[in-house]
Amino acid sequence: MLFSPTGVSECLREWEDLEKNYQQIQDTHRLYKQKLEEVTKLQDSCSSVISRQRKKLKELTVSLAECKNITPTPTLTPEELNAIADIEDSIKERAEVFSEMEAFLPKKNGLYLSLVLGNVNVTLLNKQSKFAYKDEYEKFKLVLTVILFVFSFTCRFLFCYRALDALFNFLLVWYYCTLTIRESILISNGSRIKGWWVFQHYVSTFLSGVMLTWPDGALYQMFRSQFLSFCLYQSFVQFLQYYYQSGCLYRLRSLGERHTMDLTVEGFQSWMWRGLTFLLPFLFFGHFWQLYNSITLFKMSQLPECKEWQVMMCGCSYMVLFMGNFLTTLGVVYHKYMNNQDKPKSL
Amino acid sequence: MANGLTNILEDWKSLEEEYHQLQETHRVYLQKLDEISKLQKNCSSSIANQRKTLKDVSRLVEKCSTGPSADDVKALEEIKEKIKTRPNAFAEMEAFLPKKNGLYLSLVLGNVNVTLLSKQAKFAYKDEYEKFKLYLTVLLLLFSFMCYFFVDYRFLDALLNFLLVWYYCTLTIRESILITNGSRIKGWWVFHHYISAVLSGVMLTWPDGNLYKIFRNQFLAYSLYQSFVQCLQCYYQSGCLYRLRALGERHNMDLTVEGFQSWMWKGLTFLLPFLFFGHFWQLFNSLSLFKMAQLPDCKEWQVPMCGLCFLILFMGNFFTTVAVVRQKMKSRSQKTKSL
Repeated sequence: MLFSPTGVSECLREWEDLEKNYQQIQDTHRLYKQKLEEVTKLQDSCSSVISRQRKKLKELTVSLAECKNITPTPTLTPEELNAIADIEDSIKERAEVFSEMEAFLPKKNGLYLSLVLGNVNVTLLNKQSKFAYKDEYEKFKLVLTVILFVFSFTCRFLFCYRALDALFNFLLVWYYCTLTIRESILISNGSRIKGWWVFQHYVSTFLSGVMLTWPDGALYQMFRSQFLSFCLYQSFVQFLQYYYQSGCLYRLRSLGERHTMDLTVEGFQSWMWRGLTFLLPFLFFGHFWQLYNSITLFKMSQLPECKEWQVMMCGCSYMVLFMGNFLTTLGVVYHKYMNNQDKPKSL
Repeated sequence: MANGLTNILEDWKSLEEEYHQLQETHRVYLQKLDEISKLQKNCSSSIANQRKTLKDVSRLVEKCSTGPSADDVKALEEIKEKIKTRPNAFAEMEAFLPKKNGLYLSLVLGNVNVTLLSKQAKFAYKDEYEKFKLYLTVLLLLFSFMCYFFVDYRFLDALLNFLLVWYYCTLTIRESILITNGSRIKGWWVFHHYISAVLSGVMLTWPDGNLYKIFRNQFLAYSLYQSFVQCLQCYYQSGCLYRLRALGERHNMDLTVEGFQSWMWKGLTFLLPFLFFGHFWQLFNSLSLFKMAQLPDCKEWQVPMCGLCFLILFMGNFFTTVAVVRQKMKSRSQKTKSL
């Protein structure tokens, strides 16, 4: 295009506007960095005050206990007793408040996250991000469970290649490892996931890893169909669980009866009695299938031609999974049964 | 005793005061967090808008390049210069703004923000990455030494391979985080960690048999040599990088890599023969595996797959390193020409 005087002046005018805009951006950025520094100082101050308060509260609890033991109760006036009781209640509440505060302060990563990620801070600093992260975790589980379902279906009914099985096992290992990483991040952010549900992911990773190394042979072919059918069933049940649990959790959260950071798990928890009892038989069937896998593998390891260490190892893993899952679920049922027993008594 | 109780009550009162202050501080903190998140969004969107407008203005400037007067031409040249340098300023600003994770990090971590918001934090993270590499390399060295000279169990080999897979996967995660934080790691050095992870994974599934036993010693000796060279590299490169950074000649977020880079001519040239030897060992592994794949009793798919991986590693490593050497020779010959 040919030049024109208006073209050049238009250029210069546009540039002036851009420069003004750029100055604004620089100013905003400078203000931002300044506030970042202020926030970092506030974070450090809050964290140190909280840890100092915690220490002093511990000392105070000890002193209170001593106080109550030294002076036999009658010599303490009722007001003094009340004061002590008040203080003890406040101390209990205080601990809760500190946990809530710390959910929004950066903290050092645990061992597992430090190894994998290093020192990057994984605390999400507002309620919406935490909730969005949790939501994303649930979606991830759902999508991957569907993929695993399709994959195990393919391996079980359509193709029979050790390479494809290896790929499937790699996917399982990667899936469970990623779950453990994301769950560690969720726990850092205030989610209360019970020990066994996290630990079972480590055991499942280990199990899939060992299955991965099992060489193709007569024994592998014997166990393969059983294993793939089990994976198919497990993916199906997990899908059911996540689907119905998210709906149930959503309902309970809006009724204010559950904490926002509670998650779906691969088991049965106390809140699931409200509408998810139909899942129990599916779960127990899955647990007993794990026991059956374990016994099959132990029987196979007795065979004379069994030279693979993988057989015994997988058998042990399935046994651990069965016992953990079954006993934890039984614990929940037993707890409910006890509650039901108490209720008619109190009526 | 009443005295004890009085002390307790006094302590409790002072604790209460501190607690109220804490609540206030925490409230202010949450408020500032909110302000910061608004500022972040503001900055990010303004920068994105400027980038777009910059493109338009740059097009406009091109059109008017043939200016009438010398002043206009000068003004337009200045503007062009500024347009060129503006993206660098934006990159610097964005290094401290949260950004969406790439595909790999999104899959593994989800939406958690991994941008470290201060120069010290970034540098500390990089330092930690280097330490991690060094420690794990020493561990791998010891492990492969043990497997090569002392024990001969497929089970232990499997453990070594799992450790390798885990090591390379963790490296890829940490490097993705570093790249998000402004480190400039060249493509091949990241990609070759993915290939190494795949290679170790395939080695893992290779069943114990004749062919495995034939290749095992060669593989373990190679792992031993590679861990040794990587130790050397990590150790000397960090020292060199430290010196160059103090002289202001390198960017803070530059990392040690498993190869040769242009800045290493200043004192690390002795590493080159070690590196080339390692590359040719990779080629040798690849050729051995391809030969083994031709044997009549070879039924394992792992053999050609590993051969292919080693070949890719050799070609990528060798050509990247040769390119660095060529560039140095060219700049040297240009220097002598200009003198």
